[in-house]
Amino acid sequence: MMEERVLEVLEEYCGEALDYEGDNMMEEGVIDSFTVINIVSELEDVFDIEIDAKYVVAENFRNKEAIIELVRRLTEE
Amino acid sequence: METAFNRVVVIGYGKAAGEVLKYIDDRRADYGYTMEFIEHEPHGLSVTRQICGERGIPFDRIPQKQRLSAYLDSVQEKTLIVSASNNFLFPASLVEREHITIINFHNALLPDYPGRNAPSWVIYEGEKRTGITWHYVTAGVDEGNIIIQKSCEIGPDMKAYELTERLMDLAVECFCECFDVVLAQNVQAAPQTILPGRRMYRSTEIPGEGILDLKEEPDKLYRQLRSVDYGKSGIFPPLQMMVEGKRARVLRYRKIDPGKKKEEASMIYLPLADGNLLKIKYHML
Repeated sequence: MMEERVLEVLEEYCGEALDYEGDNMMEEGVIDSFTVINIVSELEDVFDIEIDAKYVVAENFRNKEAIIELVRRLTEE
Repeated sequence: METAFNRVVVIGYGKAAGEVLKYIDDRRADYGYTMEFIEHEPHGLSVTRQICGERGIPFDRIPQKQRLSAYLDSVQEKTLIVSASNNFLFPASLVEREHITIINFHNALLPDYPGRNAPSWVIYEGEKRTGITWHYVTAGVDEGNIIIQKSCEIGPDMKAYELTERLMDLAVECFCECFDVVLAQNVQAAPQTILPGRRMYRSTEIPGEGILDLKEEPDKLYRQLRSVDYGKSGIFPPLQMMVEGKRARVLRYRKIDPGKKKEEASMIYLPLADGNLLKIKYHML
């Protein structure tokens, strides 16, 4: 359920991220820093969580699995 | 194609710096200049280092102001410095050197909104349009002659980071248009008409002084919230407000359809003029 909702957010702001199978979406130009801001804002609203700036780094947005893992950690905190 | 410039130095961060860097590199074969990139303000999501790595562009990280001044001071060749989203203030001694030309991208239509965080101030003030300016750098901040300007609309729901992105795209577009005439030193630059008492926006200034006054019109509050919204970049501290006599920190906000209103703890809803609601989530301090 959580995964599905994360993927819905990604689909809304960066559909390309759903098909991406590599390990660095930012470096490969799939998403840029402005898209990350939109995704973070939406995830915070959807999951009622606060994503601290320290988590908003390329490593946590390298692919959809990393984003799902980030949300999983924050929702379990 | 010919230019008197032997060297091009790019300083900046973010999307505009990256795209300008790529364009200058693409044109390197046309002119034969050498080039390099200097990162003065590191950013967690920056891709300029990677661009430099892929293209073989020399990359240097110089976060210290004094070291950067000394480095640029040591440049002896005829050099064009391109400042793209850069907050380093070039010292007058450098600006005045004959073999150095510096151009800067400012994210507003100069002479209006000089200084820092212009996208925030145009949103906060309720401007309907803004734009970008490429100008020559002089000893005075944002006072140099204008090379090129372009304007754009400010959407009614635009947040500071969205406007910033739009302005960066415009900046890149304008840079590509004017690069050849800058290299040819053939720009018909327009002097700025600067009125006495022009307000210079400083990095320490925050729209509404960082306080969301709930007695204000909700549409003004919405502008204030959007004006400081740069995601997690920390350009501004979170806004604060008073709730039942106690201080609270704004966590997030959103414009929503009234039908989607859900009563939740630490949440307020304010009616906007367009019939929607402004939802503000807060945390008591």
